[in-house]
Parts: sequence; C-alpha cells; structure tokens
Amino acid sequence: MKRIIQLTINDKEYEVAVEPNQTLTDMLRYELGLTGTKKGCEVGDCGSCTVIMDGIPVNSCLVLAMQANGRKITTIEGLETEKGMHPIQKAFVEKGAIQCGFCTPGMILSSKSLLDKNPNPTEEEIRAGISGNLCRCTGYQKIVDAVKSVGK
Amino acid sequence: MEPRDVFLHVRGEAVFVDDALLPAEHLFAAIRTSHVAHGHVRSLDIAPAMAVPGIYEVFTARDIPGENQVGKTILDEPLLAESEVHFVGQPLAIVVGESAEAARRAARAIQVEIDPLPAIYDVRQAFAEGSLIAPPRTFSSGDVESAWEQCSVVVSGTVESGSQEHVYMETQSAFALPTDRGGVKVVSATQSPSMVQLVVARILGLPMHEVEVEVPRLGGGFGGKEDQATHWAAMAALAAWRLKKPVKLVLTRHEDMTMTGKRHPYLSDYKLGLDAEGHMLAYEVTFYQNGGAVADLSPAILERSLFHATNAYAIPHVKAVGISCRTHLPPNTAFRGFGGPQALFVLECAIFKAAEALGVEPREIQKRNLLQDGDAFPYGARVERCRQRRCWDVAEQKYNLQAGLKEVRQYNGRNAWRKKGLALMPICFGISFTSTFLNQAGAFVNVYVDGSVGISTSAVEMGQGVNAKIQEVAARIFSIRPERIKLETTSTSRIANMPPTAASTGADLNGHATRLACLDIVERLKDAAARCLGKNAPHEIEIRDEAVYASGEATELTWEKLVNLAYFDRVSLCAQAHCATPDIFFDRDTNKGNPFAYYAYGTALVEASLDCLRGTCSIDAVRVVHDFGRSLHPLVDLGQMEGGIVQGVGWMLLEEVMHDADGRLLTDTLATYKIPDIHSIPGEIQVHFLEDAENPPGIFQSKTVGEPPFLYGIGAYFALLQAMKAFRPDAHIPFSSPMTPEKVLLALYPGDRPV
Ligand code: FES
Ligand code: FES
Repeated sequence: MKRIIQLTINDKEYEVAVEPNQTLTDMLRYELGLTGTKKGCEVGDCGSCTVIMDGIPVNSCLVLAMQANGRKITTIEGLETEKGMHPIQKAFVEKGAIQCGFCTPGMILSSKSLLDKNPNPTEEEIRAGISGNLCRCTGYQKIVDAVKSVGK
Repeated sequence: MEPRDVFLHVRGEAVFVDDALLPAEHLFAAIRTSHVAHGHVRSLDIAPAMAVPGIYEVFTARDIPGENQVGKTILDEPLLAESEVHFVGQPLAIVVGESAEAARRAARAIQVEIDPLPAIYDVRQAFAEGSLIAPPRTFSSGDVESAWEQCSVVVSGTVESGSQEHVYMETQSAFALPTDRGGVKVVSATQSPSMVQLVVARILGLPMHEVEVEVPRLGGGFGGKEDQATHWAAMAALAAWRLKKPVKLVLTRHEDMTMTGKRHPYLSDYKLGLDAEGHMLAYEVTFYQNGGAVADLSPAILERSLFHATNAYAIPHVKAVGISCRTHLPPNTAFRGFGGPQALFVLECAIFKAAEALGVEPREIQKRNLLQDGDAFPYGARVERCRQRRCWDVAEQKYNLQAGLKEVRQYNGRNAWRKKGLALMPICFGISFTSTFLNQAGAFVNVYVDGSVGISTSAVEMGQGVNAKIQEVAARIFSIRPERIKLETTSTSRIANMPPTAASTGADLNGHATRLACLDIVERLKDAAARCLGKNAPHEIEIRDEAVYASGEATELTWEKLVNLAYFDRVSLCAQAHCATPDIFFDRDTNKGNPFAYYAYGTALVEASLDCLRGTCSIDAVRVVHDFGRSLHPLVDLGQMEGGIVQGVGWMLLEEVMHDADGRLLTDTLATYKIPDIHSIPGEIQVHFLEDAENPPGIFQSKTVGEPPFLYGIGAYFALLQAMKAFRPDAHIPFSSPMTPEKVLLALYPGDRPV
C-alpha cells in the first residue's frame, strides 16, 4: 500500500506516494525523474547511488523511501546554483576525472560531503572519503586530483 | 566523450539507457535462466508466472518468429534455450510485466525441470574429451624441434591465468519500441550496434532496415558489451515487437554477473630455450582457452593470443598452439586486451623461470631480446618504426632503474617482514581488428547553415574519449572551434554495417573516416569561396581559425559566412566517408600476414610492497614510458593509461572469479568479487609520453591507447614475485593469477616448512 511522504530534495518540498519496499534510489529515479542518481548494484557495494541525506552521504539503494520522510536530500541535480556549478563539479571536468561518467554523480556527492566537513582534506582523507565509491574506468588518480584541487 | 558530455555527467544530466524517459505505458522484462550447468529441459511451466499480478506475457524459444540464434561467426548460441541447457544462467524465458519487480517475481515462479547431464569445467578434461569450439590453431616460425639442441637452458611449466568480470558500472540494458511499419527501434548499451541490428532482424525475421539500433553512450564496456549486449537487446525487441508496446530490460548487477561471460581463463603449457647469454632461441606454448558453453568471440580472442605469444621480443623459433575448449560455463568473451594479456603473462612467467635457471635477473633477459626494426613476428610481419628498445631505455634512465633497485635492496635488507620487489614490463600490442574485414568504418558529417556541425560515426562512446578525439579531428580539418561540433548518438540508420567499437580501433577508423568526410566539405567550401571572391583558385583559399584567407590575405569571409554563402550557392554541406585500413591482410590457412596497421610499444617499471605476515601486497608505483605517437588528446590518453593499468593490476592481484562444483558462480556480487577500490590502487602512476614518435598510419600521427595499458598490470605480478623471493628465495611460487594474499601465504609458508 502506498503512503505519502514529505521531504525536501534540492531545496524543494515534495510529497510523494511510495510503496513500503521502494528504495530512495527508485523513488528519485522513477517517481521524480531524477536519474542522475545511478544504480550500479542496488545492494550498497558501489556508491553509484550516493545522495546526501541531512548532510551525510548515503547509498540511496540502502535507504527506503519511507525512511527519507521529513529529511533533506541533495542529489547531483541540486549541486548547481544560479551562481553556477559547484567547484567540485568544475574540478571533475578540468582534471579529467570523468570517463564513462556513470560513477561521477556518486563520486561528486561523496567528495562534496567530505569537503563540506573538511575543506582541506589530505590525500588519505580524500581516499577515505570516496572509499565507498567504485569507478571501473579512471583508476581513481584523476578523481583524487580533482578533490585535491578544490581543497587547496 | 566530447567536452559537452562531461558537463552533462557532472550535472547528472547524461542519459544512459535506463535513464531514458519512455512512454508511460511501457513494460518491463525479466529473464528466467537455467540453474543447471548442463542438462535436458524436461519441462518448463509458465502458468505460475502468468498467474502473478501485473504480468502480460511469457516468451520462450517457441515464440521467436525468426531464427533462435545470436551466434556471430559460429552459429551455436540460441537466444532462449530449447531442449538443452549449457550453463548456469542461460536464458530460458522472458517475462514481461507492468513493473520490473512483478516481472522478476514471475520469472522466479516459472517451474523448470532439468535432467542434469555430466558437465565439464576444466579445459584439460574438455580437450581430452574433444569438446572444442574450433579446431586448434598453430602459429609457427623457424624450427622449434631442432632449436632446443642449441639452447643452454630450457625451462618448461604450466601457467594459469584467471578470469575477470568486466564490472562496467552500467549493467547490460536495452529498451525497444515497436514502429508503425511493423519493425522495431532498439536503444541498447552495446559496443556493436550493427551486430544488435543483425541479430534482432534475424530473431524477428525482418529485413535489417526495419530494425534501428541507437546507442546514446555506455557506462563502460571494456569488451563486455561487444558481443554480449546483443542478447538483452534482442529480448527487449522480441517482447516489444510481440506485444506492440515499449519494453525495457535492465539487468541487476547480480543477474549481469551470473548471465554474462568474462575474460577467458587460460591454462598454458610452455617451454622456453635460451643460449648462455640469455637470448631466447625457441619458445613453444599451448594455450588452453576456457571458452565457456558457446563460441561467442573465443576463436578471435584465441587468435590474438597467438599473435601476441612473443609479446615485445624477437624469438626465432616459435610454435604457438591455441585450443579453444568448450565447457559448461557462461560464454567467455572480449575483455580489454582480447587474449593478449593471457599470452603475455605466459611468456613473462617463462622468462622469470629461465632467469632463475640462468642465475640472472628477468630484466636482463627481457632487455636482451627486445624487438627492433627488421625483426619478424612468428606470423611473418616485420617490425618497422619499432620503439621497443627506445621505450625501455628511456624508462631505465628517466625512472632511474639502478637507484630504484638499490633502494629496494636496502629496504629489503632493513626489513625482515616487509619486502619490496621491482619488475619491468615491456609491452607490444598490434592495432587493428585481426579479422581484416572489420577494419572499416563510416562517418557522416553535416554542416548546418549557422556553421554548427553534427557528426555521426560508427564509434560508440563508452568513456574511452573517442568522441573527443573525433571532435578534435573535425575541428582541425575545418579549423573551427570544437564547440561548434557535436557528436551524435551512434545509430544504424545513419551509418550502416559498423564494426564494433573495439580492438582499440575506434579513434583511428572513425577519425580517418571523419577526416575524409570533412575534407570533402572543405573542398566544396573552397570552391564556393573562390567563386564568390572571384579572383582566386580554390587551392589558394584557406580556412584558418574560423576565417577565410585567399592567397594568404584575410578576406571578409568567416566560417559562418562561408557556410551560409555555400548554402545559397546550392552546395552540399553534408558528406559521408568510409575508411578501410590499407595494407593489412592475413591468411588463415598459412597463418601468415600483416594483420596490424601498427603496434603500440612501451615499458613499465612496477614496484610492489609485500607484508610477509599478512600476504598482502600493495603496488607502490607504476612508472611508464609509452609510445602514444603524437597524442591527439593527452588528457584522454592519460586517463586510458591510468584506468587500464589499474584494471590490469586488478586482474593480476585481486579479482578472483570462483564457481562451485556445479558451475554456479560464487563471486556474484560486488561484495564477493572485488575490483580495485581507492585503497587498492598503485600509490603512484607516472606516465611519460615518448618523444619524437610520429605514427603515419594513425590519425594525425597519433597512436590509439585503449587496450595496451592493461598489459602493464602484468608487471605487478612479477614485482610481487620479486618481493616474495626477497623474503624466501627458495619459495616455490606457482604461476597462477590472481596472486591473492591467500596464494602468497601458501607459497611463503608451505605446510611442511615452518618459517
Ligand atoms: S547502487 Fe547503491 S551502492 Fe551500488
Ligand atoms: S568513469 Fe566510468 S565508472 Fe567511473
């Protein structure tokens, strides 16, 4: 049976009817059309579905939509403001941190959430910050470079 | 990808197959597969599936209107199994429902009874029982048999290399829409749009022009979507065509891992003979390839193993035999390197063993035997513009090999429980499809009246940056800003009969085709400009940085004005061009020829650290000197290099595919199958672009990158072996990849010998 939940996504209020077993990923993608949140495994192993919930990066495939009731969510679509792209988005472009791009939204959100808490992370801290995100294309070097360049 | 794509990715706006907005009434498909590796299908009862709420239809082999066949060269692969199954995960039925969940629930509800038959998983057993995919192939040169006598040292043994799961982050996916003419449009995450088109037409019994296949972009491919994206596209197409409704089919990671094939595991027997100075004189190798249940691309992959049997070395007497074994595993398939890595690994193992026998370091043998101009491969091709030795020498100097070795020695002297090892890995990789006919591609260039440009080619963008390179080619030929140029999706309606985007050929083939098409348009534009300006011949006209010059003088014409003027002059502003790699051929009867347009060369220094108590290894550094030709796009090339190296290291040290005794995949999630994460990558990757490396056959003198970097990963294995030997010089280390911590510990602490 569907239930109505209320939540804030990218600073906008939403009321969504969700199934009890529906994941936050599926709700974002299929109910709201926010397909920037990707599905790479749906069991919490890859980080492609990362979103920021109340300031903390989470694998949205492990969160039930109902658990997001009353929460504040940031997805990749919410990073750009009228002032333009977030510095981490620019850094990914400039440093060549994107190949196929499938891991990119999740990587960026994990990085952003790290930088929000720790504006000048060390390489070790960067590695820890994105350790839940898998990328099969880049070998991670350029991703670390991108995060580093924003830190400085 | 073209730069605009990058911005789409960071905003989450890039649309992959599963992201596309479909008409509201679209349906979802799920697949029921075999749970038995080999057996007779006694019964398949779909009634329980039809009883699940929200289910529209279940399709089995009987519902295929055309031919139930997805095979490519060898027609041995049904889309849906009929009376027999040949691997766990083989599709039996397609269930279509109003949601993916309902379809999956119903797929599970189908009652399948299978009488098991004996199954084979091991290549030696398959060979003994004559279970082969194709007759064995032999490449030979010189006279191996009589050469052994001239050798001072002959070593022999067996090498095992493991499988590897692609883990493209986007799983296999497709959707299909029926057309009003009774055809179907398929949007597929495939590297081979034309192959999907051909198979869908065959399955549905339609002419190919009734099937359009479009590919927006792939979330990674690595070969795993070369042949094996076809099935899901064909299933979506069958369902959509039968139900006259759009149907989407997206595999979950678990389904993808269990249903699709992987890199071929190889078991290889080698024998290598050298003279007292370490010259390799004779090499005999037999590759037993585990092809899985159907042919797929196995024979072609095995052929590349034979081509690369001698890697970067000149060996006068060679006999390389390739045997593709049919087993009851999912069909193994293309994966970056395409049989090359397996072959290189065997020879490096042989060299490692020969070095022990000769009492020298492997690098001395490696260096002594590097290819140079005039050397020939066992298949007859001679090497020209060879940069093998140059890459090695530059690597030695630039990365200060002697100092590095000294540091390693000192470190190993100081530390009892931690050891370091350093290995060199020279690579040589032939660029071209080894099936000569595939080395062709098309481009279609449209210049619009406002001066913007749209380009369609045969290339599929999957993160390898082919579109960025094609955009660069067009920008250079037209001499306009790259932002004016858009790369279209890949579509069979715009380009016919495409080769797969594979074999690292994408940038060359499609770049050349694009160049030719753009040159056509430039010619016409120059004619138009000459006519307009009135006093110049077309050859005196030049378009440079968006402006038009006549005899070197600036004119009032800009790119935009010129395009506009040409349009009003009724000049065609579209061009199609076809590129076919010249001067390549290969005779499969004699196994001789010149199959490659050119070769990629390079050398890596790999340094490993071993924790001798835990058996864990980390790669401290991979330092490469690579021949990129004159790189067309250094940032893209660097990305390919880094990503390829990490994948190669993963294959050698980390990634382990395991099955149970009944052929069921045990490593069927990303929790049990580990690809390199950020903690397991090399501490440092340095890449030096070899200077003065023009490459006439490449596009704008460049060399393609794609697959070769993967081969450097093999160096990680031998760096680790060096570290293990430093800890225990008498260790008996099996040549078996991946060299996991478990295997390291077993080798360092054999049961009967306490530390
Ligand atoms: S899709 Fe959520 S972690 Fe992989
Ligand atoms: S860029 Fe392809 S998975 Fe990260």
